[in-house]
Amino acid sequence: MTSLAIDLHRISKFANYTIPFLSVLFFILGSNVSFYFHFLTVAFLFLTIVNFFYLKVQTEHALLRNFGFLAQGRYIIESIGPELRQYLYASDTEERPFNRSERAEIYRKAKDIDSASSFGSLKDFDTSEIKIRHSLYPRDQEDLTPYSLTFGEERGIKNTFTITSPLIISAMSYGALGEHAVRALARGAKLAGIPMNTGEGGFPKHHLKEDCNLIFQMGTAKFGVRGEEGNLDDQKLKELVSHEQIKMIEIKLSQGAKPGKGGLLPKEKITKEIAELRGVPMDKDVISPPHHNECKDKATTVAFLRKVQEVSSLPVGLKLCVGSFTEVKALVQEMIDQDTFPDYISIDGSEGGTGAAPKAFMDRVGVPLYPALSGVNKILCKAGVRDRLKLLASGKLVNPGRQMLAFALGAQAIYSARGFMMAMGCIQTLQCGNNTCPVGITTHDRSLQKGLDIGAKSIRIKNYVQNIEHDLSELLSATGQKTFESLTMKNLYVPEDSTLAPLLDNTTRQLSNL
Amino acid sequence: MIKITSIVLRIFSAVILLQTLRFNFTGHQDSVEIFSELGMEPSGRIIIGVLELIAGILLLIPFSIAWGAILAWGVMSGAIIGHFTQLGFVDGRLSMFILSVAVWVSCSFLIVLHGRQIPVIGHMFDKSKV
Repeated sequence: MTSLAIDLHRISKFANYTIPFLSVLFFILGSNVSFYFHFLTVAFLFLTIVNFFYLKVQTEHALLRNFGFLAQGRYIIESIGPELRQYLYASDTEERPFNRSERAEIYRKAKDIDSASSFGSLKDFDTSEIKIRHSLYPRDQEDLTPYSLTFGEERGIKNTFTITSPLIISAMSYGALGEHAVRALARGAKLAGIPMNTGEGGFPKHHLKEDCNLIFQMGTAKFGVRGEEGNLDDQKLKELVSHEQIKMIEIKLSQGAKPGKGGLLPKEKITKEIAELRGVPMDKDVISPPHHNECKDKATTVAFLRKVQEVSSLPVGLKLCVGSFTEVKALVQEMIDQDTFPDYISIDGSEGGTGAAPKAFMDRVGVPLYPALSGVNKILCKAGVRDRLKLLASGKLVNPGRQMLAFALGAQAIYSARGFMMAMGCIQTLQCGNNTCPVGITTHDRSLQKGLDIGAKSIRIKNYVQNIEHDLSELLSATGQKTFESLTMKNLYVPEDSTLAPLLDNTTRQLSNL
Repeated sequence: MIKITSIVLRIFSAVILLQTLRFNFTGHQDSVEIFSELGMEPSGRIIIGVLELIAGILLLIPFSIAWGAILAWGVMSGAIIGHFTQLGFVDGRLSMFILSVAVWVSCSFLIVLHGRQIPVIGHMFDKSKV
């Protein structure tokens, strides 16, 4: 360090002596020159006491014990670090989970602003990025088959459910979200003509207010349909499905953000209403069990699935994050043996989002979406039962590029949660679990929720859906295919270094290298 | 228990602070005398009066108790210094001094009880930390 540099240690020591000294100085001045000086005496006296507390009394912070008052600056600057980084210092492709260019695309779609980019892509185009192969002979938009997917048709049940758009709002519980957010999503879903997953928050009291189609999710704690000891209460389930807006049931085995662990609602976000709706106490974090009571192994899991199908008479799906393909293969075999298939399986990649999860689970547990989806698709095809159910995908599928990749890997419809949150105004401040969401989405604080106007944000959701559908149909035309289902890995350019390269079979790999 | 203590201390301090306004703002003889001795007449009298008024109000609003307590602590510290250095403790001045000390102590307690409300330094007062 040169002799001209600032030595913070010495400045702090100087300040620590100066503050009491100034108190005495101003006291003398106040007594002898003008009483007005005592304003400063009192102020510095206060600072002296605070500084004494920092240096000698408190034991929590070593910096404060060593350097006193000025060291407080480090804590202040550190606390605004995320905002500084997000707004000033991070590049457009740096932020996580969604970088600024991805989020900007969502925001523009939600506001119905043309999202054409200029000059060139921000991506690297290096050896690991997957691209969609377009055709030399793209289709006209009119040639495309209108999208339609009917759940429950394989079983031939009466209450099948048909969707006419490939997008579905994924599970975000009321509890994780506040009331305004839930209603804005539901209203937006109704406007856009897509269904919405209720999340595992129990009886969908607020969702039902907006008259949209709902998929009721049964988490491992079974809020809303919980019986004694955490088993399913048939009667409650029957009452629930008597609401005609509830079109499907989803059994959540695990989710990508915390696979193998149950749901988590921090105690800061448990209001009286939620405590009643879920039947939980208000002063502790709500931690759902890691597995459904009835689902201890593959046999009991499939049996439970069959029971829910019978009691509800609705299409029933499974949501899971893949850990071991061996287990999935065994489960599929069990389904064949018991001749009981879910009407759909939703694969959540480990990059899935959440309101609150332990960091290790969020970062390190579970197979990411593309390998998981592709693997499960292959398992089902090899077992010869791919046509007995539908396959849905979720996990950062917020923009049409990634969604097309999911289609090519076997998905038939797309679940997205954070995409819709960002369409509603989420700005990625990562505070969902603290009840302090500044845009009023994941908070129950009334003064914050009022920032989220249900009418205005529901229109954003509608715009987002319609612009995504537009982009998807343009992309589909470009590939020369007529339906999303006909897309396969052959429609993807997968370079050797990509993580998906091992999943290509020999013929596709040879094509890839051309 | 803590809530009751807090409310009692707040009301006590606010009442004393606010009742001095009668003297300060109306130009009452005693008040003018005191501030003349201190060399702050008339501006100082008005300034202190305003500060006491603000402190009293802040003490009563639940949201800003810590701020009111700090402000009142400051003004009372000034008053106590004034008594020690120039005003003395003769007759009526003694009771004023005692009241000042009483408010000073109350506000110290209130700062410790409600310190969490202060943005940066407030975390010192969280229960889990010493």
